[in-house]
Amino acid sequence: MSIRHGLLALLSGGPRYGYQLRVEFEASTGATWPLNIGQVYTTLSRLERDGLVTPAGEDDQGRALYAITEAGRAALERWFATPVAQSDRPRDELAIKIAMAVAGADVDVGAVIHTQRMATMRALQALTRAKRAADGVAQRLVLDGLIFKAEAEQRWLDHCEAVSKASKEKNA
Amino acid sequence: MTVVRLREVTREHGRVRALGGVSLEVPAGELVAVMGPSGSGKSTLLNLAGGLDRPTSGSVEIEGRDLAGVRDLAALRRRSVGYVFQDLNLIPSLTAAENVMLPRELDGVRSRQARTEAVAALAEVGAEEVAGRFPEELSGGQRQRVAIARALAGERRLLLADEPTGALDTATGDEILRLLRSRCDDAGAAVLLVTHEPRYAAWADRVVYLRDGLIAEAGGVHLESAR
Repeated sequence: MSIRHGLLALLSGGPRYGYQLRVEFEASTGATWPLNIGQVYTTLSRLERDGLVTPAGEDDQGRALYAITEAGRAALERWFATPVAQSDRPRDELAIKIAMAVAGADVDVGAVIHTQRMATMRALQALTRAKRAADGVAQRLVLDGLIFKAEAEQRWLDHCEAVSKASKEKNA
Repeated sequence: MTVVRLREVTREHGRVRALGGVSLEVPAGELVAVMGPSGSGKSTLLNLAGGLDRPTSGSVEIEGRDLAGVRDLAALRRRSVGYVFQDLNLIPSLTAAENVMLPRELDGVRSRQARTEAVAALAEVGAEEVAGRFPEELSGGQRQRVAIARALAGERRLLLADEPTGALDTATGDEILRLLRSRCDDAGAAVLLVTHEPRYAAWADRVVYLRDGLIAEAGGVHLESAR
């Protein structure tokens, strides 16, 4: 994704100026995706080059406004209609670490898993804390997405522990 | 102030050791989650902490009283400890308000006062509008709220929750955790929560992992409180 589509989605609600786009983008993503203002203007100028947004004058304080074009709305619609592909994680460090720990002769797999579990739980607590403080449904749902992912990792770690323990006992 | 304190508590069932020397304190205002695989001793720990069971060795104190010296455990439980279980144990033939009143009436509180307390407890958990309904007329989330109100009525300081989100969808489960959390933050209750779901454990100040009846790194996951 694309910051492009995020900005288009915000502009579909009416013309906005650059700083406003940055603030609204961060608010609706629960501050999980910080943007700098330079990225916003670079993206806007590319969108303008591609005919997806157009300058729309200034507001009463002289700030340059941008508006979405028909082509921009069509691009946004296509984006919403397209599912996101499961990204491959060929170099997921955690998976490799656990695999190597299990394969290694004298590694305490339980300890490796436990260390990770503690770290993931800490991350999960921080996310939950942010969710409690979040205002706005969009922000909360973005944080929920991260919470579900962290939870999936916890469950996978429990699974790794149970399976590696069982196979060790079988081989003993 | 420490609401519940376990010192080197063990529990053996015949030759099976369910809990092997666990120490744990829960101060007022703190939510502690207990996690661990099936058979790790989670429910045993909760039952001991609430005086539903007595330890083989070690001591359990609730609000400074060693349970070994308490004759009428049932009375102490009714006054000081609230329980919330997965299978809610609401009585089907009683309304929500009557379910909340029941333990207080058993404790000798007059009916009128018990009702006033029940209505207040239901209001605290956002379930006042269902006071007159029977359990089967309530959604899963509403039933769990009523069960929590029952656990809270009469200003009990220790709340023990065993998989309270078990049958609920995640959005409703989050609401229940928000509620338990606010009991700690606003009312200074101590909550001990047993769960196997990391997403709910993450609402706790502290997460304790049980492994074969022992705490594997207590307080290993401790976030500094914002309070």
